[in-house]
Amino acid sequence: MKTAAELKPGEKAIVKDVDNDHPSSHRLLEVGFTPGQEIEYISGAVFGDPMAFSIRGSIVAIRKNEASCILIKK
Amino acid sequence: MHTDQKIKKTKKRTPLISLVGQPNSGKTTLFNFLSGKNYKTVNYPGSTVEYSISKILSKYSIDANILDSPGIISLVPASPDEKISISSLHSHPEFGTPDLIIVTVDSSQLSRHLLLVKQLIDSGFNVIVALTMKDILHKKGFDISEKRLGEMLGCIVVSVDGKTGKGIDNLLKQVNDNIGNAKIGREISLQRLPHNLRKESLLESYREIESIEKEVLYSKSSLLNNEPVNLAKINEQLVVLNPGRTQNLPDAQSMKLDRILLHKYWGLAMFAIVMTITFTFIFWLASPLMDIVNEGFTFASDIAVSLMGDTWYGNLISEGIISGVGSVLVFLPQIVLLFLILGLLEDSGYLARGAMIVDKPLSKIGLNGKSFVPMLSGFACAIPAIMATRTITNKRERFLTIFIVPLMSCSARLPVYALLIAFLFPPESPWLGGIALTAIYIFSIASSLIIASIVNKFSTKLSGDSGHSSFILELPAYRKPKFNVVVMKTLDNAMQYVKKAGPIILYLSIILWFLTYFPNHSPGIDTTGKSDSEIAELTNSERIATSYASELGKFIEPALKPIGMDWRVGVSLIATLAAREVFVSSLALTFKVTESGEDIQNSILNSMRNATIEGTDQKLFTTATSAGLIIFFVFAMQCISTIAIVRKETGSWKMPVIQLVMFTGIAYVLTFITVNGLRLLGVN
Repeated sequence: MKTAAELKPGEKAIVKDVDNDHPSSHRLLEVGFTPGQEIEYISGAVFGDPMAFSIRGSIVAIRKNEASCILIKK
Repeated sequence: MHTDQKIKKTKKRTPLISLVGQPNSGKTTLFNFLSGKNYKTVNYPGSTVEYSISKILSKYSIDANILDSPGIISLVPASPDEKISISSLHSHPEFGTPDLIIVTVDSSQLSRHLLLVKQLIDSGFNVIVALTMKDILHKKGFDISEKRLGEMLGCIVVSVDGKTGKGIDNLLKQVNDNIGNAKIGREISLQRLPHNLRKESLLESYREIESIEKEVLYSKSSLLNNEPVNLAKINEQLVVLNPGRTQNLPDAQSMKLDRILLHKYWGLAMFAIVMTITFTFIFWLASPLMDIVNEGFTFASDIAVSLMGDTWYGNLISEGIISGVGSVLVFLPQIVLLFLILGLLEDSGYLARGAMIVDKPLSKIGLNGKSFVPMLSGFACAIPAIMATRTITNKRERFLTIFIVPLMSCSARLPVYALLIAFLFPPESPWLGGIALTAIYIFSIASSLIIASIVNKFSTKLSGDSGHSSFILELPAYRKPKFNVVVMKTLDNAMQYVKKAGPIILYLSIILWFLTYFPNHSPGIDTTGKSDSEIAELTNSERIATSYASELGKFIEPALKPIGMDWRVGVSLIATLAAREVFVSSLALTFKVTESGEDIQNSILNSMRNATIEGTDQKLFTTATSAGLIIFFVFAMQCISTIAIVRKETGSWKMPVIQLVMFTGIAYVLTFITVNGLRLLGVN
């Protein structure tokens, strides 16, 4: 299953689900990474971590590790 | 007990309005408007969570208290501090349940911010929504119908502009009309749902919010035809053309800028440039300003002596009180400048990006990207810096940040370094001194990071908690900083420093004055062939040489001998407990600097060059001992105010004691190695 951590800068995708087992999963849902939302990976810091995504009209930075619990479809 | 509660409830109390909102939603700006910035800041009992409380400005003629609490993302807490904020929102330990809640909602990020509104309404609160940042929404090409939003949410919605105050009057009118509407007897319940249901209810809320968003947002350009087209209609049209590409997107300009400013390499280069400019700017501007403050207080202190003569009370006022106040205020220019620049960077949106860029390297040593701002503030003063660690949600990371902040090279160290560098390097080539100062700063950053990485291995013991480490940070849209808002915030930070560090520094300064003035307050000296000012200075020096402070200095002298210092340096080191920069003026006292009125630094330097270790003709200040002193100041935990604030913020004496023992221990050992190592190498 592809995750948001695998996107390349400028790539867009639709959130499919967020892995419930990840300790940040609830906070990720709260900041807007809910199923059906379109996200775009804007840019990442050095080593691509953390990663900045566009979500619901905002830009939110999350760690790569956290992006890897966001399941996506293109 | 039961009747007591009833009496409390029926007793007429001042209504309470709570201000709630997500971070960056304009909540604090609104609070400043309503309170007229005349508020007091208090901690929730037994915690470090802070709230501000104020009466609503009398010109608005509403008799109510307004309470500003920390920004929250949802009513489901993710950290212990959030838990306190949220449960206090339901029932504040002192003020009870709010009669009305004003929620600030960034209209340009409507759906994310409506989540909190929905949760508050669902919990049964009496809610008014204050829509902010409409300028950004307009820039995105959208507008919003407050009326429709209010209808769909079932609460009152008002637009406000934090910059101009537009809409505030309307907001207050609505507050006045609705504050009596407190739904008496209505249950206000904390949401306590099991994990799987929590996710379901959250997704359900978001589904409702999405349908609201589609109804109330409409394209601005379409208004031209006098027919507002809402997002739902646009979507209908667009879905056909371009399925899945119809959502509210972030500000296009910000996305464009972020592709450069957050770029793997360019972003790092930009970050380095921004930091370099920040520090260069601060030092260039601050040092002449600090000189002015310094000279002003020296002047005032001289006047005090000339008015009251060389009496004990004249000395108390000039040396104890005026110099004491001076040592508090001399750092203000640097602190104000650093916070001004930090404020401008924050308001422009860059600071959050900076935190993101350094998150990875910092997380390697147990810190967090959010440690970045406190660490940066630490270069001005550890006190506001330690208070700024509250934004770090993970307790372990927060404690580790507090732990290393005192190692940042604060502005009080600067005068000490300046003096020692002037001693070490010839005045002919000032650039050598500049390089040396930069090297000291880089050295202090590097060593603090090394210490952090070592302590990180043990930091569960330090905080007693190893929560999950996370970095989820909204990057606000880039915008031109609002200068007046930034200035207000800067003054706020500066006031915090004056209020928290000021009294401690002042009291200590008076105690130190006492220790250096008594018991031999009017020593007899040989006055033949000496000018009045020389006599005065020699009296001062003789007095200090026979004072309680010198006794103390001599008491610790055995510990100082191995690092090449004597009791006179010891006295000055004791004096640094008030503030590190007091070291310079106290050296001037202990080394009988007689040419007062002239360039004080040069006279201290001359005295330092001539000083010998008592009883020998071995020079006291050598390259080795001066370098050693610099090392000592890089590490030693000398500042009482810092110890006090660490105690307060961590809730126990454990951390400040560890810091005191560990940092001063490291300082001592490294100074020992530096001094004796350099001597072994023949450097003297």
